[in-house]
Parts: sequence; C-alpha cells; structure tokens
Amino acid sequence: MFNNLLAIAQRTIIQLMRDRRTIALIFIVPLVIASLIGVSIPNKEVLNSFLPAMLALLILFFGFLLSGISFLRERSQGTRERLMASPVSRMDILVGYLLGFLLFALVQTLVLFFYTLYVIKVDFTGDLWQVILFQILIGILSVCLGIFISAFARNEFQMVQFIPLIIVPQVFICGVIFPVSQMPEWLQWIAKFLPLTYGVDGIRALMLQGKDLMDIGKEIGALAGYAVVLMILAGMSLRRGKAA
Amino acid sequence: MKDSAISLQNLVFYYGKLKVIDHVSLEIPPGISFGLLGSNGAGKTTLIRLMVGLLKPQSGRVSCLGQMPGPASARNMGYMPQLPSLYTELSVAQNIDFFARIYGLRDRQKRLQRVNEIIKLVDLWPKRNVSVAQLSGGMKQRVSLGCAIVHNPPLLFLDEPTVGLDPELRVHFWDYFKSLTEQGTTLIISSHTMDDAAHCRKLVFMREGRIIALGTPAELKAAVGRPEASLEDAFLYFIRHGEVKSNVQ
Repeated sequence: MFNNLLAIAQRTIIQLMRDRRTIALIFIVPLVIASLIGVSIPNKEVLNSFLPAMLALLILFFGFLLSGISFLRERSQGTRERLMASPVSRMDILVGYLLGFLLFALVQTLVLFFYTLYVIKVDFTGDLWQVILFQILIGILSVCLGIFISAFARNEFQMVQFIPLIIVPQVFICGVIFPVSQMPEWLQWIAKFLPLTYGVDGIRALMLQGKDLMDIGKEIGALAGYAVVLMILAGMSLRRGKAA
Repeated sequence: MKDSAISLQNLVFYYGKLKVIDHVSLEIPPGISFGLLGSNGAGKTTLIRLMVGLLKPQSGRVSCLGQMPGPASARNMGYMPQLPSLYTELSVAQNIDFFARIYGLRDRQKRLQRVNEIIKLVDLWPKRNVSVAQLSGGMKQRVSLGCAIVHNPPLLFLDEPTVGLDPELRVHFWDYFKSLTEQGTTLIISSHTMDDAAHCRKLVFMREGRIIALGTPAELKAAVGRPEASLEDAFLYFIRHGEVKSNVQ
C-alpha cells in the first residue's frame, strides 16, 4: 500500500542527495542568515524574538522553494507525465514528496535550532520535540504550497518570481520583524489570513514563553487547516486527464 | 470488437478551441505492432495520451485491455513519452529501478535482477551508474525505453521511440519490438518516418486529428495502384485524395 509513496520519497531524497551543491546550500544558507542576524542585532531581547520566527520562516521558504522547483522540473522534464501514466495515485505523489522534503526540512530545522541555541545563544524555554512537531506542520503546509503554486509556473524563473509574491509579504506582515499588534488595523486583519502569522506566534510560544502544544491549539488548528486546503488544491493540480 | 487490445470509439479531443482529435474510432488487435503515422501536429501524441489516460476525451470512449485507462489499468501498460522524461540527477540503474518499483516489482532481489537484465538489453551496462544528465540523446532514449518495459507490460505505448537513434540502434530496437510482439505484447508506436512504418504489422495514417487510412503496409502501398509504390507514396496518395476510408479492417 505504501510502496509507491515510499518509492517516490526515496527517489526525492536520492535526487537531492546527488545534487551536492544544493544540499550544501540548504544547510549553509540558513546558518549564514542566522549568523548575520546574530551579529547585526545587539539587543538580546530582539534577537530572542527574531530567531525563532526565522525558524518558522525558513522552513516555509525552503519547503516552498524546494518542492515548487522540484515539481516544476518534474513537469518540464516530462517525468510527471510518466508518473501520471503509471499506477501511482495523486496521494502517493503528494505524500511521497512530503516525506522526502520533510526529511531535509527537519534536518535543516535541527541544525538551525542547535546553532541558534548554542552558538548565538538564544534563550530557550521549551521542549525540542514540540518545536520539531510544530515545524513538521509548517513543513507539510510549505510543501503543499510549493506543489500547488508550481502549477501556475511554466519555468523555474517564474517559480522564483512567486517568492516576492507569496513569501516576502508574509515576512513583513506576519510578525517576523515587527509585532503584528503595532501594524495598521487593516494590515492586522490581513495577517490573520496568512499562515506564517500562526507559525511565528506558535514557535515563539513554544520556544520563548514556556508553552506547550496544548496551549497553542489556535495556531495548530489554523496551520492544519491551511495544510489540508493546500493539500487538496495541490492534489487537484495533479488531476489525471489534465493537459500537462 | 470484443478481443481488441485497444478500442477507441468516436474520440474527440480539443486543446482549448482547437480540435486535435476528430472522431477517431479504432480497434487494435492484441499482439501486433501498430503504427500511428503522420506529420508533426497530426494528433499522434495526443491520441497516445488519450489511450494511456493522461488526457480525457471531450466525447467518445477509450478501452485498453477491456478497462478504462487509469491507475488500475496502468500496471498493464508501459509508456515511453516522446521526450526521454527521466530523472537526470539519478543514474541509469536508479531511474529504471524507480519505475520498476512503482510498477509493482516489490521484491528487491528480483527487481535488481530485472533492472540488470534491462540495462544489458538496452546496451548500457558500462553506464549503469552514470547519471542520466551525462548521457547522449540516444542513450537517454534507451534508458527511457528501459523504464517503459521493465515491468514487462502486455501493452506498450512508444511515442517516437526511434528519434535520435543511430541506424544500428534503430535496427536493434526494432528487433526487440518484434520479439515483444512474438511474446504477445501489443505495441502502439507513433512515428513520422516511413522506415518505422514499414516495421509495423498494421498502421494508420493520421492527418489533422483524423485517420485517413488504415491497413497493413502492403495494403496501403497497394492502394496507390503502382507496383513500385513506397509507403511514402501511399501516405502522399491518401493525403491528396482527402478523406479516405480504411481499405482493410
């Protein structure tokens, strides 16, 4: 039953592992960003608030980018057509991709987490496993978002153009840099509809406020809701009988 | 026809407003190589995509081995698209192994054995661990064929399989296709070269989404009315004479 999705997950992992430069960049870039943030923000309180939000942002960003571009290449290389003509189901493809990319997203989260904790020395009051579970949820959402959005791009250049449209506004509106409560009311209203708002609030609660997963039900519910909707949309973009 | 490997009934397909397949009906018997011949844009690839279930017709019906195309029937089909359609970062062996796995070859040992057999068959053994990105166009075609046949399907769709192959390899491919039909496999092959057409047991000439002729190569040549007529002559003859029905069913 799980053979096909495991085959797809394994293939996705091998594919990325063979691209050593991409692997190096996946792990080095977040550390460079975190280091820059660490040295450029002298205020410890600001740093404590900013870096957890970066964890949520980076998993959203890399999950979106990796899955979106990989899926686009799947289409442009013709392998998607080949997959769709095979016995695999849409769910196999989606879950297979999710498992494959989540592995990288999680390793990336762990590397960044320990780096911020032990090198940049962010104050942390919480459980690592809870942070990881929460990051998995954001990771699922980001992979589905990437797959869905890739249906609207015809090439990698177009896919990259979606970053300023989909990811960058969330950096400014969702409380990564400035608290949402200090923004104009209409912007706060928009923030309520963006998934990163819940990602940032949730991870700050887990890492800084000593809360656990049970305390952030609203954030988990919102992110899970987005993940389900995006998974349905991503699945619809993979419909058989649709011109590739 | 009850015993057909493929049955197409009055298929119509539009890309947007453009009619690409225009009321195509066809019965393809099992165990033969069946050619779809036509110039670029004749509708050959679209017809194959309809048969494998990648596209859904606006009207009409497709049946492959008695089933509607879809995930359930896909296990009995092999599909080699026009472009190599491979994971370029993966090696030759990894590509073939992946497709073997998703087509249901689960036992690791048996799968490995079958993958090795296929790599030798497509004459790429020395390149088995080389990534596909580093292969020539002809080698990619061979890997692509390997991915399509690894599960030994009874029904095989090959979209322009000999494009980019050198003459020696082309002969090698056709010898292999012949051996497949002898074992009972039904081959649907699209091409725009008459060399390929001559190898098919039966074929259709297509133009602007319609079938303009159907028959064996000998029957199609005979329709021209000249003893020395080639398949190319036959193709031009049917094009010039417009709507021509199949001379042989």
